[in-house]
Amino acid sequence: MAEPKEIDLRLAINAISDVVQNRPRPLREFDQIYMKTGDMVLQSELVARWSDGKRLAFIGDGDAISICVAYLHKRDIINYGPSEIVVYDFDERICGAVTRFADMERLSNVRAELYNCLDAFPGPTNYDCFYTNPPWGASNEGESVKVFMQRGMEAVGYSGEGMVVIADDLDLEWTKRVLAKVQSYSIDSGFYVQKMMSRLHSYHLDDAPDLRSCNLVIRAVAGHEWTGNSVAISDPARLANFYGRENPPRVKYVREMKRLDYGKAHEDEYAFEMLEEN
Amino acid sequence: MADILKPGQGLLYMKVGMHAQEGLEAIIERKTREIEEAGHALWGYGGSTCHPQTMVQPFAKGYERRGSRIYLCMEPMESSHFADPLRADEFSVDGLKWEEIPEAVNVLGSRYALVIKDLRKEEFELPLENTRVALGNSMGKSGSRYISGRVDKACLEIAEKDPSVPERTVHIGLVADIVEPYAVYVRNRRG
Repeated sequence: MAEPKEIDLRLAINAISDVVQNRPRPLREFDQIYMKTGDMVLQSELVARWSDGKRLAFIGDGDAISICVAYLHKRDIINYGPSEIVVYDFDERICGAVTRFADMERLSNVRAELYNCLDAFPGPTNYDCFYTNPPWGASNEGESVKVFMQRGMEAVGYSGEGMVVIADDLDLEWTKRVLAKVQSYSIDSGFYVQKMMSRLHSYHLDDAPDLRSCNLVIRAVAGHEWTGNSVAISDPARLANFYGRENPPRVKYVREMKRLDYGKAHEDEYAFEMLEEN
Repeated sequence: MADILKPGQGLLYMKVGMHAQEGLEAIIERKTREIEEAGHALWGYGGSTCHPQTMVQPFAKGYERRGSRIYLCMEPMESSHFADPLRADEFSVDGLKWEEIPEAVNVLGSRYALVIKDLRKEEFELPLENTRVALGNSMGKSGSRYISGRVDKACLEIAEKDPSVPERTVHIGLVADIVEPYAVYVRNRRG
């Protein structure tokens, strides 16, 4: 990794602001909860440093950390970052936002693929690392986190690294149970917990404004074998409370309503009242 | 009232006041009339703390399976609410299939609505320390710590009284039964 240069904070914040401006509005029924902008700046720098020179798969990315990482690097605000980024998301609006932004800013190492994590992972499975900020599993003891992690582990062929962003709150018992289950799952899957960075991020979350999340960094134990066979997930026990209590997944893809005036105010939001003519 | 404060009971707590430029007394009168005419009323609200599909519906269904129900317990307060009084004309239980809202039912200036019956003035103190957030990202948090700042409504369960915790109560002045389908999305298609 190159000697890290000093970061111009104003440039970094304004770059993240460009990305935030481009994001679709979150759908709360799918636990799309957006990270606050200041935390996105710090998280993007951290992810860029962690994945420097590597091929990075995002298993879902409503926050648009993928684009932030690539954009900070492209703008030379940071002088490190992954060599390739692929975003897998079931929301066509998110994939579209990534694709459009990458095209507009000539981020040639970023692309997005429409993919529902309940389906078998489409590959390739030779990424160096994966990143996921999944539904946090308050109502399913972390099962939704494990589903996203499983796809991430498959993306790296069970031989790379992963960064998992999940809830971390000392006052909430469910977050402790989920953290314990997720760490057990990592170990059972041939990974170990390399690092846990506690209570780093806050969110635009009106029902839990103080809830924070942590980065859980996991790394594969050498020599773990994987058959390379990714299969669809349909076990009702894993899916019953996927998006909250009694809310199993019902939607395969969120489809984007295509618009010619993308990024502009919707025409049905306003009407002009004209100046009177003399 | 005794039933509502029984340990294990579920309730939806909400601060209420002026809504979409209409005063609380006028809203109560209108909703009471709607219940008489249509058999139920839709009580409009917003915010994700009581999201219809991820919070209220599973919360209420859980109680229904146990042969019980949840109550809407409202704390009247002085407030202003400048949302435009636009009438929603469609509702949906799941956000996919939409139906016309009956003429007799008017929900104004809201994204979501609770389905209520038996709206009544009932006065009692609700000890928030003895409640816990029932589900969602803040599950398990004490109601007294949860209800603060911009958080003004919650799906709560009454817990056993803890004598070591100082009591903080809120004054409930209005109660209703929440009935199937419990909470719905509403929208305005006609403009």
